[in-house]
Amino acid sequence: MTAELTPVVDDPDTGGYWQAAQGGALAIQLCSKCHQPIHLPRPQCPRCGSTDTSWREVEPAATVYSWAVVRHGVHPAFPVPYTLVLVELRQYPQVRLLGRLDGDPDLVEGQRMRIRFDHTATGIALPQWEPLPHHKGEKQ
Amino acid sequence: MRDRCAIVGIGATDFTRRSGRTEVALATQAASAAIADAGLAPADIDGIVRCEQDNVRHNDLADVLGLRALNYWGSTGTGGSAPAGMIAQACAAIIAGLATRVLVFRSLNGRSGARYGQGRHAALPVGGNGSYDEYFLPYGLLAPGQMFALIARRHMLEFGTQPEQLGAIAMACRERANNNPAAQMYGRPMSLDDYLSSRSVTDPLRLFDYCLETDGACAVVVTSADRAPDAAATAVLIRAAAQGGDAGQQPGLVFPALMRDSLTAQPSARVAQTLYSRAGMGPADVDVAQFYDCFTITVLLQLEDYGFCGKGQGGAFAASGALGLDGALPINTAGGNLSEGYIHGLNHIVEGVRQIRGTSTNQVSDAEVCLVTSGLPTATGALLLTAAR
Repeated sequence: MTAELTPVVDDPDTGGYWQAAQGGALAIQLCSKCHQPIHLPRPQCPRCGSTDTSWREVEPAATVYSWAVVRHGVHPAFPVPYTLVLVELRQYPQVRLLGRLDGDPDLVEGQRMRIRFDHTATGIALPQWEPLPHHKGEKQ
Repeated sequence: MRDRCAIVGIGATDFTRRSGRTEVALATQAASAAIADAGLAPADIDGIVRCEQDNVRHNDLADVLGLRALNYWGSTGTGGSAPAGMIAQACAAIIAGLATRVLVFRSLNGRSGARYGQGRHAALPVGGNGSYDEYFLPYGLLAPGQMFALIARRHMLEFGTQPEQLGAIAMACRERANNNPAAQMYGRPMSLDDYLSSRSVTDPLRLFDYCLETDGACAVVVTSADRAPDAAATAVLIRAAAQGGDAGQQPGLVFPALMRDSLTAQPSARVAQTLYSRAGMGPADVDVAQFYDCFTITVLLQLEDYGFCGKGQGGAFAASGALGLDGALPINTAGGNLSEGYIHGLNHIVEGVRQIRGTSTNQVSDAEVCLVTSGLPTATGALLLTAAR
């Protein structure tokens, strides 16, 4: 990989997400007052204005919301083709996350995805999403 | 604000792939043309509004034009979502008495200089401090077209939208550009087969779903309706302007908008409500429209949001022939960002003025009301331009 685009992991608002990922977990920010997920994470809850927020580990299961196949590359760290996949969490469907898959895999709306943690050369855990292994007869 | 301000001058440079000039030089050329078109001198200009993404600052342009008394300046964004808001800001300054004649401009070497389609180049590591880049750039989401491909796919999944329907939008813009000598795609026709066989850039979007990259500038002069009759050119009234974001708009520059509650529900729906309410008009009053078209899907979403068809019906409406010069809603009559040039939407306002003046190379007969919109999926804006009575 050339010049990986490593994420900032110690931002006061978003750091909790990356710290959980480093520990192999998926966490989202919740408002302690209205109990709604705050995503993307913010310094206060946009719904009720509370600054009392916390990070909660959630089930790392999601479904496909949209995807796009990049065939014209613009960065050497990302050889084409690759697929950007936008998933929504099963536990909190209003929470959407992005992942990257190599190539041009067959995807369908609502397809079940599981988390995978990739690690950058500097050891930062990057949550990724990949299709659940297909079992015969299983409803996707 | 209804009908209280007018656009009295328009100006544009040539649109090229390599201007060989600085962005200040381009801005100066477009601004001088707009001021001359209004029958004014630089000394008459006392306000400037720019796009916050422009590299040319208000003082750069005021200095080179030799403005004697700059009393007001402002800027707004985001990027292609800015132009209608820039006009709104000029109107607000004039109505508030902060300025009398405001120059509004956008200048960029979008092909020979920084190319937006080449992706974001952020310092490593990426993200933090409210940018939210850490959720996107490390995954290879780097360019606007990649984001709009995700939006287009979602519209296809929800409503069955087809590539041929996006192609109808690209073709409408191209056909108008083919009759506009100033357009970069003048003399370069495109068939539906040409569209469909253009290479995939980020599937489901093809090369001809993408706007151009352009070196150039546009400018307009805004003044009060009272002063407008003094102008050399036919004044075009700003019937109404509107800006709008909505709840769940999402923070950051642009990519976080992928986290909106729905990718097919855009802030343009709310802008349309505000705009029509302020104007006392509705979509049925619109004779011609200039839709911001960074990508074909951007237009399709707006056809729905500005009330020309139902939600999910944008594809069918686009493919119905409605967008042609003789259709129910002629669009992007200079060719738009897709085929005229990418001056980040300010060229749409210049063309809107031409339509109301009756001077477009693709003139819509008896055009009295022109809708001009700005970009998505960020908080955006729109204008309704009308003829002076």
